[in-house]
Amino acid sequence: MARRSIGPATSLRRSQRPTASAPLRLFATEAVEADEIVPTKLRVSQLAVAVVFLAVAMAVALMLGPVDLSPRTVLAVLVSHLPFIGYHPRMLTIDGAIVWQLRLPRVVLGALVGSMLASAGAAYQGVFQNSLADPYLLGVASGAGLGATVAVVEMPRLASLSFDPIPLAAFVGAIAAVGATFALGRSAGGRNTSSLVLSGVAVGAFFTAIQTFLLQRDTPVLGQVYSWILGGLATAGWGEVRLILPYVAVASVALVSARRLLDTLSIGDEEAKSIGVRADRVRLFIVAAATLGTAAAVSVSGLVGFVGIIVPHTIRLTVGPSYRRILPLSVLFGAGFLVLADLAARTVLQPGEVPLGVVTAFLGAPFFLIVLRQSRRAL
Amino acid sequence: MRQGSIIRLSGGLALSLTLSAGFATGATGATGAVGSNRFPTTVHAANGVVRIATRPTRILSLSASATQMLYAVGAGRQVVGVDKYSTYPKNAPRTGFTGYESNAEDYLRLRPDLVVFAYDTNHLVEQLAKLSIPAIVLPPATSLASVRSQFVELGQATGHLAAAKSAYTSMVRKIASAVARAKASGRNKTYYIEFDPTFYTATSNTFVGTLFSRFGMKNVADSAAKAASGYPQLSAEYLVKANPQYVYLADTVCCGQSAHTFMSRPGLSVLRAVRQHHVFRINDSVASEWGPHSIVQMVRDIASSLESRRRTGASH
Repeated sequence: MARRSIGPATSLRRSQRPTASAPLRLFATEAVEADEIVPTKLRVSQLAVAVVFLAVAMAVALMLGPVDLSPRTVLAVLVSHLPFIGYHPRMLTIDGAIVWQLRLPRVVLGALVGSMLASAGAAYQGVFQNSLADPYLLGVASGAGLGATVAVVEMPRLASLSFDPIPLAAFVGAIAAVGATFALGRSAGGRNTSSLVLSGVAVGAFFTAIQTFLLQRDTPVLGQVYSWILGGLATAGWGEVRLILPYVAVASVALVSARRLLDTLSIGDEEAKSIGVRADRVRLFIVAAATLGTAAAVSVSGLVGFVGIIVPHTIRLTVGPSYRRILPLSVLFGAGFLVLADLAARTVLQPGEVPLGVVTAFLGAPFFLIVLRQSRRAL
Repeated sequence: MRQGSIIRLSGGLALSLTLSAGFATGATGATGAVGSNRFPTTVHAANGVVRIATRPTRILSLSASATQMLYAVGAGRQVVGVDKYSTYPKNAPRTGFTGYESNAEDYLRLRPDLVVFAYDTNHLVEQLAKLSIPAIVLPPATSLASVRSQFVELGQATGHLAAAKSAYTSMVRKIASAVARAKASGRNKTYYIEFDPTFYTATSNTFVGTLFSRFGMKNVADSAAKAASGYPQLSAEYLVKANPQYVYLADTVCCGQSAHTFMSRPGLSVLRAVRQHHVFRINDSVASEWGPHSIVQMVRDIASSLESRRRTGASH
């Protein structure tokens, strides 16, 4: 904690020379220097706090819901699903369905989506060196939004499909939008990040325009698309968990293992090059991983906003600017935060639902202003 | 350009006014026995007092429910256009209009002399008033009594007041006979009606809810409805705990739902309705319309769903 008094730039220069880790070698142009001091390493105590936070959040979220179930009932249901126990009480049919098929997958999915959005947000902020960057910066949101809108509008013709077309369409739309952003950004400004961000803005506006046009022509679907955009896990089950788990797992592992590279980027492209790191390749790798994971997450959760900003910034303000701390902690706190936000979403207006995006934005908007004030102070 | 079209329009209007006036006089003379009302007339609709100078002959209906009523009261031949959501009767002159247009000028190519709306979201009534075209708004009915007053308003506005009253009576009779058929099976049965897969539903305080109540059925959303709207959203947990005996899906068209997709959703396979095969399809639009055709269809669908249970019971 005392280290916070050191200005971020000083701390970075002194401490964040990367070690010669495997992912670093992948992007190296020459042999990497030997290790130096690593004072911004993640502490066991910090990790423990994050793990406990997530565990408590998940436990509380499992115990509470629109239907009052005693902790004993919830435990009984969980135990009855453990292998080799052979405990299957009949009276648990309804409560069992509530805990095992509704609450638990929802809690797990909330954790996956939250960890993905928070770590992707942290990664984007590192890559673009901009504390206001979030996972939707390059067009994921507008692409996923357009994809979902097309699926909803075409639903009467897609009803014969054996799967829900909305997540697939959202995923494809998100990837297409970010792909277009990259293609345009490259052709416009080479490897300059600001031209990438600007082409993200242009692609976002273009996709949103098509989406708005489709909605305007087909007003009865407005409600459905709108509630998708606001985000939520109301209809989540194990199917959604299985759907996004591979993407989120791969993306999270990739981002967490790139934490040192993100620290390297923060010292500037030239300095990074001098220690053997190809900044442009690093950026591409990290943005690709973050985008893939984000696209998968929003395909099942809708456009849950602000998590990618609130969580990494809270962590940054608390433990300092090193991504070696921010990334792993974002995964855990992001998961816990979204689990709690979803708990609020499904209990505040029970038995109705507050859109998850409304809960996170309600908390996120004031927080965002605090972050803005902080960053001005730092300037 | 615009000026030219307005001048042409007013010319056309004047012509149609003269024609309709003549027709109205003739009609009154010929059909005076069935009690067609006289013009000019004033109608008390949701948008206030509307004065209609002559019997309309070019009606544009931008409400699926109003379209059904217009045809039921015998004003079908006066209808020159209906919105794209008016699916009944099949031979109604469908247009691409939605009733949510932003500019009343769009409607002028049909040269309407009466426009009927369900909602007036874009101040279209006011725009039409500037063009001296009367318009009435018949908002979603909340009870059979409000259906009755809409029948009367439309009957009066179109010159079919007596026919409107008898169309209403005939509708009520059909409802009563369907209810009588299945009321015994419906008493105290719990049900859930779904408008989209995120569990948006209607309580028994809504119009569609009152139709179920006629069978003595109990709505599982009632105890959840703190919101005044009558169309609350439930959570999956709540629905599973409430464990309804009957499920009615009014989201089969919009959202591709079916008994199969319903039971495949997380947690819903344990519901009594699912295990007893009591998950029924209700046409999306039928469940949200209050025209006589839709109401009778809806009530008959509910009766059939309850009777199907009785048949299954008997066969065991």
